[in-house]
Amino acid sequence: MMMTFILLSIAGLLVMFLGFVKQRNLIMPFALFAGVGALFCLLTQQTAWNYFLTGMVDLQGTPKVLSILLLLNGVALIPFLQHYAQRGEEEIADFMGLVMFSLLGGLLMVTAANYIILFIGVEILSIAMYILAGADRRKIRSNEASLKYFISGSFTSAILLFGIGLLYAVNGSLAIAQPIEASGSALLQIAYLFLFTGFALKIAIVPFHFWAPDVYEGTPTLFTALMVSLVKIASIGAFLRVIQLNADGLPGWLNAYFMLLILATLILGNLFAMKQQNVKRLMAYSGIVQAGFILMGFISMKPGEEWPVLFYFIAYALSSVVAFVVIHFVEEQSGSDSLESFTGLYKSNPVLTIAMTVSLISLAGAPFTSGFVAKLFVLNQVVSSGYTALVVVAVLCTLMSMYYYYKIINAMFSGSADQPFRLPYGYSLLLIVFTLLTLATGVVPDYFVSLLK
Amino acid sequence: MMLGIYLIIIPLVFSVIAFFSSRRVAPFIALISSITSLFYFLLLLGSYQVVEHYLSFNTSIPWIQALRAHLHFGLDGAAVLPLFMTQLVICLSVLATLLKGNERDGKYYGLIGLAHAGFNGFFMAQNPVSFYVFFEAALIPVYFLVLRFGGPERRKAVFKFFLYTVFGGLLMLAAVLFLQFNMHSYLSLQTWEDFYKNRIAVPYQLWLFAAFFIAFAIKSPIFPFHTWQAELYSQSDRPSLMIIAAIMSKMGVFGFVRFNFVFIESVFRVYYYLIPLCLVGVVYAALIAWRQKDMVRLLAYSSMSHMGLIAAGVLTSTNLGIQGGLFSMLAHGLVAAGLFFALDVMERRTGQASLDKFSGLARVNPRFAAYFFILVLSAIGLPLTCGFIGEFYLLWAITEYEPYFGLLGGLTLIIGAAYMLRFYQKTMFGPVTGNASGFGSLGLSEDYIFIVLAILILVLGFFPASWIGFGQYVFEFMNFIPSK
Repeated sequence: MMMTFILLSIAGLLVMFLGFVKQRNLIMPFALFAGVGALFCLLTQQTAWNYFLTGMVDLQGTPKVLSILLLLNGVALIPFLQHYAQRGEEEIADFMGLVMFSLLGGLLMVTAANYIILFIGVEILSIAMYILAGADRRKIRSNEASLKYFISGSFTSAILLFGIGLLYAVNGSLAIAQPIEASGSALLQIAYLFLFTGFALKIAIVPFHFWAPDVYEGTPTLFTALMVSLVKIASIGAFLRVIQLNADGLPGWLNAYFMLLILATLILGNLFAMKQQNVKRLMAYSGIVQAGFILMGFISMKPGEEWPVLFYFIAYALSSVVAFVVIHFVEEQSGSDSLESFTGLYKSNPVLTIAMTVSLISLAGAPFTSGFVAKLFVLNQVVSSGYTALVVVAVLCTLMSMYYYYKIINAMFSGSADQPFRLPYGYSLLLIVFTLLTLATGVVPDYFVSLLK
Repeated sequence: MMLGIYLIIIPLVFSVIAFFSSRRVAPFIALISSITSLFYFLLLLGSYQVVEHYLSFNTSIPWIQALRAHLHFGLDGAAVLPLFMTQLVICLSVLATLLKGNERDGKYYGLIGLAHAGFNGFFMAQNPVSFYVFFEAALIPVYFLVLRFGGPERRKAVFKFFLYTVFGGLLMLAAVLFLQFNMHSYLSLQTWEDFYKNRIAVPYQLWLFAAFFIAFAIKSPIFPFHTWQAELYSQSDRPSLMIIAAIMSKMGVFGFVRFNFVFIESVFRVYYYLIPLCLVGVVYAALIAWRQKDMVRLLAYSSMSHMGLIAAGVLTSTNLGIQGGLFSMLAHGLVAAGLFFALDVMERRTGQASLDKFSGLARVNPRFAAYFFILVLSAIGLPLTCGFIGEFYLLWAITEYEPYFGLLGGLTLIIGAAYMLRFYQKTMFGPVTGNASGFGSLGLSEDYIFIVLAILILVLGFFPASWIGFGQYVFEFMNFIPSK
């Protein structure tokens, strides 16, 4: 595990220096190689240097699964970043390096057993993302997104840190698994309130979502893909760890608090999404709603039964990465990310359309896609713990979400296109692979669930 | 090894091939697929032993272990008639599309194949989970069929249809999930039998039933959930409309056949209010159909009227009702496919779908008029056509249930005869107008489709006994369930 961290940090630095070399084509393969290498170290359980940070990171169980997911997510996105290099962006080396660092940050967040490590992870991830949000520095929107993200992110960090500080004040320990004895005190309640509000801000659930749509819209689209997948999964994963490790010591009102947030997220998020005309904003709200869905799995989670949430991560990451990559290509082609630019996409590029369609119906939750099974698992968990009303709301919200997902599909399949546009074969192939994976996880979920267990 | 699941696999495989084949080859692949399915089904039917084994040729695949969900398919008494109708109508629809030449590409035939597999899976589903999954899965190809190949206003129409159906589907999903988790955990819920035997706690029954009822009522459609129907029908491509009108509309009422016994303790009294609701819809739709100028809309409302009657009959939960309902599904499927095909023939030749624009077709093409007459008579439910015996059973069941309801239901026969005969009279008789004069003669394959339908309609009308019997087995099967 330590090998993975070290490999990623060194690779991140090296990639940045590769920017001085003339051979720009080397950068992407190198980054990909480093990512795969990190994944390899993780999977083969290299134990060298594991004595560093002893007791501050957890290397087994859920953190490991989450790390694998994050790395896979990063590795899946890196090839597409090459598109920025082909477009003649000079900073490709910096981008790649920052992506490596954001991966490292994400890994630290989900493996942390200590609040310091958690916070360091949050900062590494966030700072990399602040820069990436402003990657398109000639565009005012991208700059705006970067600044907005920076301000709201700093605010989030402050709140998180305040919560952590209060926890330390109460218990005198920074371990995530806090001693249970002191759980009655008022200060502790406040500490948890701040801590979890910080997480809610980071995950962007209603009403702490205000920054997300603007930031997502302004950020160059491939980095938005990174934000909605990697950042979100890392944040929710870290949150999952905190809940997991404090299963008995959490204050009682927490369930109600999050129930409230989830209800608000599902209902308001969908309502906001329904009136969007910009696909990127729409998908931003969709990501907010999906996060609400994932958090639903937390409410009734029993120890050792985290796999529904993890499965939802796979489904969500696959679909949203594909969706944003498609948006990126459409945006490149038509210069706009409004709904109109998707009209007639089927005529101009069927591969993009089918990839987008499958990922959208997966997000909407149609049978035989990963999203359906994921929703089934989460709803099942909620039903079996007796929150029937919540399930009814969730089901109705799914209907609402169908409206805006199918709005995009409707647009893509109707109307005529201006001109056909070709996608390099490599990208098409990758998109097809991801699409098939989305379908495979929906048709034979048992296999993937057994992997998660 | 003969297995029902091949009826899903055959169209699925062929549809994948059709997707990637050229405009010229794809229709024949679709034709081969549908004819193979038809013959395979007949083969299964030939060796189907209803009395000894209620369920035959079944396959159960463990799907999601965490939810104890199996995908289980097989042939049983309830599935036989709808399945037969499905194979037949898909064949005819592909033939009807072929007539249009190379107008449709491989994607179209691929979608038809997917829909075919979906419908077959739906009718053969042997437990609630498979039932739900294919209820939704069959929707997706239909959605794309209309979205890609429909008329000018299709976007709005298909969207409305989609939202309605998905809403019902989601309610059903919630109900199925609930059922799955409130069953005794030692039962694997692999078959309907497990499901029926395991009574649901009475307090939940009404809610669950409401979810199922809305899902099926939307799909059928039943008044007041019908507003998507006429719009969708008038916007969809005609050959695929044959599939939608004949097969997809049966999914809702078929759901009633599968589920109406499940909630019987607390819901039986509710049926007393739902049956009149269905019947009011029947009369309402018939009255609207009477006033329609557009032929597609007329047939759409007529279809809704028939569905309402079938639903009412099935909800009586009597032997007669179920038998009549299943037989009527087959009969109405054939007739609807035939009528929409006739409409396609007329529209293709004259480019018109309005009642006012036609008259005197009988003089131009008497053979077409004759075929059309058989279809219309069967739609009215004249004795010795297949439409009769099913409706007779249905009305009988309803009258036994409550005589007043029978009266209400009987009204539909009169109004139905009125609008169908008016339809026939307006288009076929009278002076030959400009549109009709260019009608010309029928092509060989058009003749073929009409002849097949006409023969089936008459044969089923003359010898319904062996077919209607399948409903009997369904009832017997459900009746042995304890604690009725």
